[in-house]
Amino acid sequence: MSLQADSNDPTVPSLEHLLLAVARGRDQQAFRALFQHFAPRVKGYARKLGADDGAAEELVQDVMLTVWQRADTYDPELASAATWIYTIARNRRIDRIRQERRPELHPDDPMLDGDGAPPPDHQVQAAQEASRLRAVIGDLPPEQAEVLRLAYYEDKVHSEISVEQGIPLGTVKTRLRLALVRLRRAFGEGA
Amino acid sequence: MPAHHPGPELLFDYAAGSLREVQALLVASHLAYCADCRRQVAELEACGGVLLEEVAAEPVSDSLLDAVLATIANAPAAPPQPPPEPAKAPNGVLPGPLHRALGGSLDGVDWVRIVPGIHLSGWSLGVGTASACLLRMAAGASVPAHRHTDHEMLLVLTGAFSDEFGRYRVGDVASYDPETPHHAVADRDGECLCLLVQDNPLVFTGALGWLLNRGFRF
Repeated sequence: MSLQADSNDPTVPSLEHLLLAVARGRDQQAFRALFQHFAPRVKGYARKLGADDGAAEELVQDVMLTVWQRADTYDPELASAATWIYTIARNRRIDRIRQERRPELHPDDPMLDGDGAPPPDHQVQAAQEASRLRAVIGDLPPEQAEVLRLAYYEDKVHSEISVEQGIPLGTVKTRLRLALVRLRRAFGEGA
Repeated sequence: MPAHHPGPELLFDYAAGSLREVQALLVASHLAYCADCRRQVAELEACGGVLLEEVAAEPVSDSLLDAVLATIANAPAAPPQPPPEPAKAPNGVLPGPLHRALGGSLDGVDWVRIVPGIHLSGWSLGVGTASACLLRMAAGASVPAHRHTDHEMLLVLTGAFSDEFGRYRVGDVASYDPETPHHAVADRDGECLCLLVQDNPLVFTGALGWLLNRGFRF
């Protein structure tokens, strides 16, 4: 169990500040700190998803390089540092290990017509939202937490979870929907 | 704002990264029309961020940081950026993810006539048993009855159509469970263009179907 490093110590810069220092100042010290924090987690994520040691380290390299190159696109109002790096790790894993393309909607998609930003009720500090969310996930009933983790960590879509766990599809969907209701409540509280 | 959305499980699988490319293309394209689903995906990604913090950390090799720093030092001063999307809608009616999957605009797409008024694109994206293609219905045209052994989805890109379950406008997603016969009919006042996603190939039913399934074209 590893909590966000020193999140209660005001003298230690938050992960979000480190990311902004990389974006604005190309700050290598900040990047080293981000690497120390996230590289072992991204590796753990890749290993959980079945990558061998070598492939997992290649993914870490790829992800951390992307963090350096794309730091200027990070917006702390939209996502915590962990969420932003999660999406990079997820997409790079799909690309490298599953060898599929990841269809993504870019925030500057011309069809969005300047409406790419989330509605105002979501523009609270994403990092604070994350701590509420962490509490909600920690309190989920075990069977709901399980479907969540299977999807994020085992690359299983909900119908595969049903087959592999021998649980009817309807039950998987119910557990998932109950979990999602609780998760949404965590966001609702911030509005 | 669309009235018909992908199921919450699909948004979840998309955010978790477990959804396969073909279905993910439909979800990502729907997001271009739907602020509500965009918000839900953002929330589920935040959940992924929390789980990343919780995952059992695995120590990385001592040399890994140096390797990354060396790559950074050797990189050109301005890191390569993804090609910027031109400012004015070059995609026409296509959401960006679909535009990129097609590798261009609709102009370059060729069409295969299935029955009068109904065309499927020559372009398709197949990954595993799943496939995506475009479906074009002329005004008032109906898709021949068919059933399928797995899930099927349509995302409306232009125009509108109706079936026994409802009416679908631009941005709406119609989802059909396995073995559900359904009859899509385009609105009378204009062509309807859809992204069609199937987990498994179609089986047409009825007298015409026997021929269609054998590759017969009218």
